[in-house]
Amino acid sequence: MLRSAPVDQALETRWFDPARLNVLIGILLFTAFLVVNILRAKANGALYVRPIAGLKALDEAIGRATEMGRPVLYVPGLSDMSEVGTFAAITILYRLAQRVAEMGCEIEVPCYDPVVATVIDGAARDAYSKAGRPDAFRPGCVHYVSAQQFAYVAAVNGFMLRERPAANVYMGSFYAESLLLAETGNTTGAIQIAGTDKVTQLPFFVCACDYTLLGEELFAASAYLGKEPVQLATIIAQDWAKALAAAAIVAALLLGALGHPQLAAWLRIA
Amino acid sequence: MRRVPLLVTFLSGAAIASLFFIPHHKAQAVNSKLLEWTLVVYAFALILGSLSLWMSHAKKVKKRAEGWPYSMVTLVALLAIPGLGIWKGVGAGSPVGMIYDTVNAPLASSMFALLAFVIASAAFRAFRARSAEATLLLLTAIIMMIGRVSIGELISANLPGITEWLLDVPNLAAKRAIAIGVGLGAVSTALKIILGIERSYLGRS
Repeated sequence: MLRSAPVDQALETRWFDPARLNVLIGILLFTAFLVVNILRAKANGALYVRPIAGLKALDEAIGRATEMGRPVLYVPGLSDMSEVGTFAAITILYRLAQRVAEMGCEIEVPCYDPVVATVIDGAARDAYSKAGRPDAFRPGCVHYVSAQQFAYVAAVNGFMLRERPAANVYMGSFYAESLLLAETGNTTGAIQIAGTDKVTQLPFFVCACDYTLLGEELFAASAYLGKEPVQLATIIAQDWAKALAAAAIVAALLLGALGHPQLAAWLRIA
Repeated sequence: MRRVPLLVTFLSGAAIASLFFIPHHKAQAVNSKLLEWTLVVYAFALILGSLSLWMSHAKKVKKRAEGWPYSMVTLVALLAIPGLGIWKGVGAGSPVGMIYDTVNAPLASSMFALLAFVIASAAFRAFRARSAEATLLLLTAIIMMIGRVSIGELISANLPGITEWLLDVPNLAAKRAIAIGVGLGAVSTALKIILGIERSYLGRS
């Protein structure tokens, strides 16, 4: 079994940590799957990806908001740019903002982190331009609120109760505030769509929202909404990697049961 | 010029990903330095964030929009608290520390306490037996709730064991399956960003 010996970090002179070889091989395989599927997508064009109910409902939500003349509220999670969930939230917002601009309704994006607010503002402006309606972008619709968890919740809940948005979309990384937000949204009668990479918060969203994207669906959402073959190829690469992970786990368990625990130890599942 | 941000993203992403595999002390020193740089970026963004907050609330006050007095409170606080912090410091016993302890902390605790009530209302809705899945959820929830309190053991000595099994076997299996999917999704998103396949975060398509 490969494991790092505890070494004082200041004296560490190795240029590669053999204990992380499994991670490196995994990433290289994933990159290979990605490249193969991108080449397939470029050669064949359309790729099939199973429908995701929560994402199909986004159009319905925006349509409802347009008919009712009320805004769409987009909550991009309570993490900073170091969380990959925040990137997923930004990429989904980009597609959502394009639809909002095309249909001519309003969007409101309260942000928890000032860096995220700045990045989202740029992405939303670009989405409106791409939709051919740069003039429809309302400066201030993306705004910083507070970097304190419950102060942020109070502000967003207040907005929900005052403005009564027709659709609430929660995407990104959420913590203890998930149910406070989703339950308040539920009382206002808004259609609610959520997606998070935080497994512990999923049950709360499932209880209080109409549609919930479970874990990996959050990361697939942007590609699914964009419908670009290269983006869809990344979802298929993700599925290949998942199949490989499942096969590796089963193989490691079988080998372990037969008295060969090396693979399980190498994969760190023992 | 359009390619410069993509190049910066690629080089930074590839470098930081490589540093995960390199334990050499010099490489780790570079890693620490890069993490310090994020603090500098954050400080600049905080100024932009404060301006965004100011403009958003100033507009409400100017238009006398619904709830404008609350926006006024926000604006006053936005000026007064940093001012007090610069003038009297921010440690324990300072005016800012006192405001934090006597206003901010109780308000945050009150918001958090609301969670108990929203959990009850959400659970009530979720546990209505409208379908086979909802009925299964309801039964599991009943077993879990009874099995986790003292009376559960009095009803049946097996109940605590059943709740432990529910948590450790079906529940953990589902959580791990979702966690594997999340992990792969995160790697996929990171690779898409590093390789320039996903560019919407740059504000240009």
